[in-house]
This record gives sequence, C-alpha cells and structure tokens, in this order.
Amino acid sequence: MKKYWRCFVCNDIHYGVKPPEQCPTCMAMNAYVEISSEEAKKITNPTGIKFDREKFLSAIEEFVEKNEFQVNPDKERVKMLLEGLFNNEQNHGLKYCPCRLITKDFTEDLKLVCPCNFLIHETYQDKEDGECWCGLFVKRR
Amino acid sequence: MKNLIMFWARECPHCKHMMPLVDRLENEEGITFEKLEIWHNEENADLMRSYRDIIAPKCGGQLRTPTFLNKETKDALCGEVEYETLKEWASK
Repeated sequence: MKKYWRCFVCNDIHYGVKPPEQCPTCMAMNAYVEISSEEAKKITNPTGIKFDREKFLSAIEEFVEKNEFQVNPDKERVKMLLEGLFNNEQNHGLKYCPCRLITKDFTEDLKLVCPCNFLIHETYQDKEDGECWCGLFVKRR
Repeated sequence: MKNLIMFWARECPHCKHMMPLVDRLENEEGITFEKLEIWHNEENADLMRSYRDIIAPKCGGQLRTPTFLNKETKDALCGEVEYETLKEWASK
C-alpha cells in the first residue's frame, strides 16, 4: 500500500510503498519519515505554481524528452484534448482521459489520469505508429 | 425504439472523426443512433457505465469513446473504424 513520506531535511514529499534511500532533492540519505495524507497535503498545497494548460503542456513536453514517445505534433488535436483534460479536472476532480469514462472506482480510475500508463495498452504496444488511446502521446517517428 | 447508441465525448478527437461517418450512415442507410455525450451529462455517463459488461471486453477492458452499442444484440464496437466496418456492424 502506498504511503506518504517526508524528507526530514528538505520537506520533499514522496508517495510510494517505500521511501527513496536518497532524497532526489537534497541528496540526504535515509531521510524519509512516514507522514499522514493530511500532513502531505498541507506541505504540498498550495505550491503557488499556476498549473494552467500552458504549464501542463510544458510539463508533458519535458516528460517525453527522454522517452521513446512524443506529444502529438497535431496541435489542433492536442488543443482539443487539453480542453477535455482541464474540463474533466474542473468537473470531475482529476485530469481524466477525455476519450474514456471513469468507472467511479477511484483506484481503478487513477489509471485514466493523464498521462496514463499507455505503454501497456494494445494501441501502443508492438505498433510502429503506436499511440495512447486519445492520441496525445505518439511513438517518436 | 432505437436500439443503437453512440456514446461520445465532446473533447474526444476519435468521436469528432466518427461523427460525419455516423451522419452519413444515418442519411444513406436510414440507420439511427441515439447519440449520448458522456463527460458533460451524468445521466448518459451512468447509462454507459451500466453497459460496462458488454462494452469493456470489446474496448480494451475499458469504457472508451466513441463506443457504438447495439442494445438488442448486446454487441459493442469502439474507436475509429472505416465507414464500411461501421455500416456492416450497424446492419447486423
């Protein structure tokens, strides 16, 4: 089961089954202590960073840099999908894929938060022109 | 009573692609789809979820859009398909 962990040196927050041995922010060793989700929320929110569409786009552009996939070069498609993602976040709480529907099982629905793990999907795997279901991410060509 | 449903989403590019093909099918073949938007209408979303057992096995285990559902034959087709594929499926 995933838990929240706080670096006692720099307050870096980690969410996972185990804490990292080394804090990726301050490099301290064996620095993480388990905390409550309420505490994690208070420490990380608000961050003061306005996470609008432009910021999200730059985040996923950075995310794809060292991966075998890229953000779809079709800008109109990307614009439509970002519209859907942000509408879903506003109306349904998280940036759920605009081309799938939540089941109302929260854990199950976390699989639909963009970027999802599309590497395991049949629309991406073993395909030269593979892409995530909605087409926001495509294999680098 | 309509037996064919198209579950679609407003910001889904696949749905945008398929909509003219559905319109063409309706005009040329007289086949009618009940078109239900699922991200901005909770009633439609609940209806789609109620057909999960039929839809998911045909759609990568998920509820994806667009999904074409035949309520009578309990068959589903999802994603972008060629016009002829949709026509054949809808004519069954």
